[in-house]
Amino acid sequence: MNKRGSYYRYLNRFGWLCITPAIVFFLIFMAYPILSSLYYMTRKWKGASNTFVGLGNFVRMSGDSFFWQAVGHNFIYMAIQIPLMILLALLLAVILNQGIKRLRGAFRTVFFLPCVTSLVAYSVLFRILFQTNGLLNNLLINSHILSEPIAYLANPFWANVTIILALTWRWTGYNMVFFLVGLQNIDTEIYEAAEVDGASKARQFFRITMPLLLPVILFSAVTSTSGTMQLFDEPNILTTMGGPANATMTASLYIYRQAFVTNSDFGYATALSYVVVLISGIFAYIQIRFLGNRGEK
Amino acid sequence: MKKGFKIALALLVVAAFVCIGVTSCSNKPKPSKVTIWCWDPNFNGYSMKAAEAVYVKTHPEVTFDIVDIPNDQIEPKIEAALQANGAGLPDIALVQDFSIEKFLQNYPKAFADLKAAGIDYSKFAPYKVGPMTVGKSIYGIPFDTGSTGLWLRADYIKKAGLKPEDYQKPMTWAQVIKLGEIVKAKTGKPLFAYESDSFDTLRIMVQSSGGQFFNDKGELDINSDAVKKSLVILKELNDKGLLFMAEGWSNWVNALNNDQSAGFLDAIWMVGTVKSKPENKGKWMVVPTPLLEGVPGAANASNNGGSSWFVFDKAANKKVAIDFLKSVWASDSPDSLAFYNDILKACGAMGTFLPSQSQPNYTAQDDFFYGNQAVFKDFSSWMAKVPTLKYTANYNSMRTAVYNATLLFFQGKYKTVDETLAAASKEYKQTTGQ
Amino acid sequence: MNVVRKFSAARLLMWLILIIGAVLSLFPFFWMTIGMTLNPNDVIRGVIKPGSELSLNWTKATTNYNLGLFFMNSMKIALLTVFFGVIVNSLAAYGFEKYKSKARERVFGILLLTMIIPSIAVVIPMFKMFSFFSLLNTPSAIILPSIMSVFIIFFMRQNFSMFPSEIMEAARVDGAGEMVTFVRIVSPSMKASFASAAIYMFLGQWNSYLWPLMTIMSDTGKTLPIAMASMMSAYTIEYGALMIIVCISVIPVLILFLTMQKQFVAGLLGSVK
Repeated sequence: MNKRGSYYRYLNRFGWLCITPAIVFFLIFMAYPILSSLYYMTRKWKGASNTFVGLGNFVRMSGDSFFWQAVGHNFIYMAIQIPLMILLALLLAVILNQGIKRLRGAFRTVFFLPCVTSLVAYSVLFRILFQTNGLLNNLLINSHILSEPIAYLANPFWANVTIILALTWRWTGYNMVFFLVGLQNIDTEIYEAAEVDGASKARQFFRITMPLLLPVILFSAVTSTSGTMQLFDEPNILTTMGGPANATMTASLYIYRQAFVTNSDFGYATALSYVVVLISGIFAYIQIRFLGNRGEK
Repeated sequence: MKKGFKIALALLVVAAFVCIGVTSCSNKPKPSKVTIWCWDPNFNGYSMKAAEAVYVKTHPEVTFDIVDIPNDQIEPKIEAALQANGAGLPDIALVQDFSIEKFLQNYPKAFADLKAAGIDYSKFAPYKVGPMTVGKSIYGIPFDTGSTGLWLRADYIKKAGLKPEDYQKPMTWAQVIKLGEIVKAKTGKPLFAYESDSFDTLRIMVQSSGGQFFNDKGELDINSDAVKKSLVILKELNDKGLLFMAEGWSNWVNALNNDQSAGFLDAIWMVGTVKSKPENKGKWMVVPTPLLEGVPGAANASNNGGSSWFVFDKAANKKVAIDFLKSVWASDSPDSLAFYNDILKACGAMGTFLPSQSQPNYTAQDDFFYGNQAVFKDFSSWMAKVPTLKYTANYNSMRTAVYNATLLFFQGKYKTVDETLAAASKEYKQTTGQ
Repeated sequence: MNVVRKFSAARLLMWLILIIGAVLSLFPFFWMTIGMTLNPNDVIRGVIKPGSELSLNWTKATTNYNLGLFFMNSMKIALLTVFFGVIVNSLAAYGFEKYKSKARERVFGILLLTMIIPSIAVVIPMFKMFSFFSLLNTPSAIILPSIMSVFIIFFMRQNFSMFPSEIMEAARVDGAGEMVTFVRIVSPSMKASFASAAIYMFLGQWNSYLWPLMTIMSDTGKTLPIAMASMMSAYTIEYGALMIIVCISVIPVLILFLTMQKQFVAGLLGSVK
């Protein structure tokens, strides 16, 4: 943009004008709540009254093994569900892009469909599916695979499995569509040149496709990670308040419980939230650094 | 031209906000409209509607808005609204008895002092009035009792080769377990439908012996005989296959209504649920709550649940709301007594307003139950024996900690009762920061 | 790029994977539709054949639960959010992308940072703010905070980056004002991006749960997700009616997506670059 005098100033003003409405909304509905919640962080709340405790909430947090357990659950989901989902999405995208071309549009729509359900709706459906007297058990018993129903939702291990399955069902298609679009953006000429050079399909995939897809995969990873750190609806509705016995409790749900269910200690809840923000930020930073650098090679 | 566009855009935005504001600012309460929050439209909602019908006969200018808010959402909503200095609160809200102390302690000025408004509390069951009393003030209108009983399927007992009449008496847990074993062996049905993520059964057992979960200072004290003995019995029931595990309220209801268990342990307000399935007719009988033998102070009676109506001090229609509660719920006029009589029969809502207990439905035989048992008469008489339970403001946290530990105890993660209670204490301490 | 000959084992495997994936993706929808016609017990027992209770369930859904009202509430809120959201966010994206400056990039950086803040952290202050302005229990409480979306701005920035600046220059030479350029020249050719943004915003708002849960205090203001969750906490769950409501909540988005798929994917295409 030309930096000459008044014309430049005019364009610059217009640029500011464009972003002003968004900034106003940001200030009112994001900045103000975030800043005022800093006030809550240093206070211990008990209903209508609150007292200043300085860093007391953070001291309490360090001894609250249940909070860290909840964070640990978020980590487990990130470590297992996200790679699983990305691999699956990648596999489907590659098949649709290079393997089976027929009905590609139809398959793409079908795989994306789970994303149009609301988090509440699909949590409800999966709960009905996995409850002890639910659909899955009934099917397995009727076909004699099981003799006794498995209480998925009352068993810590299985409860986590159901959450991971539900998340994968819901989000694989979403990521697949991104990957598919990314794949379609790659110029076929590159592949043709590689063919001529005698590169095998596998080599082409790893040396050409993957590096070019890295920005999209990074985007997927970052958004999935921050989404998983905020996991709330599924452990709330599918396994009811992070059950059984806190086996699926997540950070956000624990914060909600502290703020609204247990003893309305909003100060403590806010302090917990900021730790979650910090963790999310660190993850995002690591991912961008790590995957971002690889992509530049 | 450019300026024009800027101004036009700004005006458009402002106009839009005005539109949104105008179309939605009609939520200010009309002069005589009473807003009430409660859950379960078939029980609480129904009762309120019946009360409304009585009141509008003499006060036709008053309108009611009875809002249905699910049980697990109503407290967070009240909480959030109280935090916002009362914005959005209704005039009257239904609160579970075990949560009352929490609200009264955390928000001391939020509720209207109804004793000062002239309500005569001697006419209500004492164990209900206790939790809502703070010093000289009393804050709510007690509603339903949670008087408990052991509900049994007479038809399954018959099928097991036994006579149901033999069991229509006060029993100890040992006797009940024996019954359960026979019924399971002969019919395959576990004696109890058990909600796996619920505290209710344990609570019923502990309270039946006058036991508590907190000491007089409000500190956690779950290492009592009552609690330990109850846990041991529950584990025994589970190990012997006498518990049908169901997750969540609705699945539990399904289990007992769909012949998956031969009974359950719970309160009178289950009458509506049991009656909602016509096929249940003639099959169910209710016997006294089992006795926790070996624990001093034990009785064949207990309480589970029950809630009360509260008026918010800053409510827009506080006067009308209080007058409504006074003249329908706390008065012994013929219309009021008839109202209590009606809701008992219609949805099994047994109020704790003592004068109403002489009404016909309270003592009548009910042909829905096995042997035309006069169930309400039985529940009433048991209600008289219920000891008061100290809830404190941390009841919810204690409840969660204990049932989490209990579940893991059942699953074998904790091997002894002491280990289980230690785990529960730990969760309680850490999640509440005590 | 035909990688494999037809009828080879690898091809068969790929078809298998696709078909299994499709069945898994579709199954819950299929089950939902069958569930609408069954009585509540059969729904959870897993009966697969359609029953005959559709009209009964429909009556329950519309009378016991005010399905029509909840639908209209959700629709009204979502449409208003999309209308204002697309305007505000696209304008902002345009400003950030086409009028780049160091200062604005820094501002954008700050906006990006806020994407990781969990909504639970801002719920209480926002709640207090809305109560202060007496806007609780109104659609505004739900619409206003959702209008600006950093994700949408980011998304549209990518799309705008593909729009050739030469055309803007040409328009300036012709004497067109900047706003006119945006409205008359740039936007019409970016229809796909606008469509994608609209769909995303609609989806987000249509399915929004936590915040409406906190702010809606009366029966008449409830939206579909809240109604669904309420039904799940009811004393007796009407599974058949619940299935109907779940279906109804899925259908508008489904229609939206199916009809605007082309634009949606084209918009994604732009943003991924």
